[in-house]
Amino acid sequence: MKKLLALLLCLMLMIPAFALADGVEITLWTYPIGSWTDDATVASLIADFNAAYPDIKVNVQFLDYQSGDDQVTTAIEAKTTPDVIFEGPERLVANWGAAGKMLDLSDLFETEEGKTIYETVSGSCKGADGKYYEYPLCMTTHCMVINKKAFEAADAMKYINEETRTWTTEDFENACRALTEAGFTPVTGIVYCGGQGGDQGTRALVYNLYSGTFTDETFTTYTMDSEANIKGLQKLYDMVQEGIMTVDPGIVAGDAISLFCNGTASMCFCWNAALETNNKDTLAENVEPYAVAFPSDDGVPTLDGGIWGFGIFDNGDEARANAAKEFIKFMCNDATQAPKSVYATGYFATRAIGDIYTGTEKEANAAYDAFSPYFGGYYQIAPNWAAQRTAWWNLLQRVFASGNVADEVAVYMTEANAK
Amino acid sequence: MKEARRRENIAGYIFMAPSLLFFLGFVIFPMGMCLVTSFFNYTMTDFSFVGLNNYKEMFGDPIFSKALVNTIIIVVVSVPVTCMFSLWVASIIFKMRPLNTSFFRCVFYLPVVTGSVAVTVVWKWIFNNYTGVLNYLFKSLGIISKNMNWLGDPSTALWCIITILLTTSVGQPIVLYVSALSNVDHSLTEAASVDGATNMQVFWRIKWPQIMPTTLYILVITTINSFQCFALIQLLTSGGPNNSTQTIMYYIYYQAFKLNRYGYGSAMGIILAIIIAVFSAIQFRLAKTDNG
Repeated sequence: MKKLLALLLCLMLMIPAFALADGVEITLWTYPIGSWTDDATVASLIADFNAAYPDIKVNVQFLDYQSGDDQVTTAIEAKTTPDVIFEGPERLVANWGAAGKMLDLSDLFETEEGKTIYETVSGSCKGADGKYYEYPLCMTTHCMVINKKAFEAADAMKYINEETRTWTTEDFENACRALTEAGFTPVTGIVYCGGQGGDQGTRALVYNLYSGTFTDETFTTYTMDSEANIKGLQKLYDMVQEGIMTVDPGIVAGDAISLFCNGTASMCFCWNAALETNNKDTLAENVEPYAVAFPSDDGVPTLDGGIWGFGIFDNGDEARANAAKEFIKFMCNDATQAPKSVYATGYFATRAIGDIYTGTEKEANAAYDAFSPYFGGYYQIAPNWAAQRTAWWNLLQRVFASGNVADEVAVYMTEANAK
Repeated sequence: MKEARRRENIAGYIFMAPSLLFFLGFVIFPMGMCLVTSFFNYTMTDFSFVGLNNYKEMFGDPIFSKALVNTIIIVVVSVPVTCMFSLWVASIIFKMRPLNTSFFRCVFYLPVVTGSVAVTVVWKWIFNNYTGVLNYLFKSLGIISKNMNWLGDPSTALWCIITILLTTSVGQPIVLYVSALSNVDHSLTEAASVDGATNMQVFWRIKWPQIMPTTLYILVITTINSFQCFALIQLLTSGGPNNSTQTIMYYIYYQAFKLNRYGYGSAMGIILAIIIAVFSAIQFRLAKTDNG
């Protein structure tokens, strides 16, 4: 009886192996991009895929930005990487692609849909070796957000061009002064620098104030030591000294967003369409988020962009690689599926597929398309990016502690541009 | 007789084999790999022999020096405080009724079994610059006049980390000390009391020598845990502000996992292991002298 039971158990264990004998099993790792972190949403997208490709089984693992990179690094060294990964060019192209861990996806860009991807986007998916390591699904521009109720209470909405949602550096400074005097919230804005989380916000804030750039045009050298950028840092330091801006080396963007949502701060330097959707249930009564561009001296900002798409790790298995490509093509190119895939992110398609938000639960996201014209270059693929990110928030900590902007920037430049 | 002993030995080795294999595979082999890797420029794209270059770079690296100093401060402060506080608490609660003793053991052990992330989230809320309960409490008591950024100020951040570390470190020592104090021979303490010994004399002359093995174990374990302080730093400060909470463990992680410099990280790991070994050896030596 025991032997029979053991035999049955063995047979039961082998059922999945037989079931997959004719198909392929691939693994997808996804960073939290919009609702691609939600089990039910991703399961629904994969169900759509399996309706068209029943012989390809997709296993999903969700990553977070706190430990996701460590998991991927460990997987690379242990040679247990997933087949498909969903993230942006700074990781897929500049990091793992440059290290030779990813497959070239040039053939996907040769498809009818691939050829219609915006040029600024497709260029960011290409490595220095000319190979494409990411096939993009969605994009957005990162912006900042203000509490409209606080601004109205301080009579500071007049400093914002509501038609274009832009403002000048002078307007920004005046608004902060008005907010401080009104005291609607305990603090105006918080320059967070406790870590790298959401650092795109503080970068864009600094280099926009006097129309600087974060890197040179070829994205090969960091340019924080330019006159414009040093002036921008100095302006922020002066605002902190005046008491109309706050610096906090103990928090990162996630904390700053919480402080905005609970009404502690009147503005937050890390925001985008998906964050508006994700945080709508956490807003205090006296908070009305209103997305605006970063202030700049001429009122014409350059916004950081986020581009997210799929990459395929080189696992040496052609069948799995082909299945992974079918998965990517279905999610990004299929006429019915692509809008659903993009909608789940809360961002915008990387090629013209029409408005997907009007009349939906995420209708507010449509307003963020207004920032698309301000999308600057995708400099996040610059060399030494990982070290630069740490150098950046350390620079902010040192600047606000010592006030010696030029010297601290010089230290940063040495660290960031180290080869 | 000889045959029986041989069989017994073989049986013993067979029983030991699983844990021995585990120990070799997951402790000795990685340690060996770490040592070997420390002599290589091992990154995601390179694996070339560089001899002692990683070690040379490390000793010229100002952040490593800062991390080393911070780590030693954490150890030097937290180890004695943990031991003394645990002994004090244990000496109070071990005399209580069993139910009360168990209750307090649970209370102090709770932070140990609670996940580091949950503990950290609570402490982050306590230390919050804007809405934290600590600022509220201190302002109410008139200790501070305006909110302090506990984790954002280089002069307070490390002490906050040490405080949290203490709360998560005292649970196990308290449980061990309660057990050790309960095992002290009561006839000796009673005899000493009858002979006119004071409470302090009873403690230092009778109890302290008997709980010395437990103290030694606690010292070594707490020292190792303090040297390996990582999760708190990663979740709370990322080593900042201005590297004021940078520790060797966190710097190893940063170099290995953020910059993919596995060789350099391994070299730091070797140095950390040597430092821990030296500290532990000193503790063994001192404890042996005290005992003897």
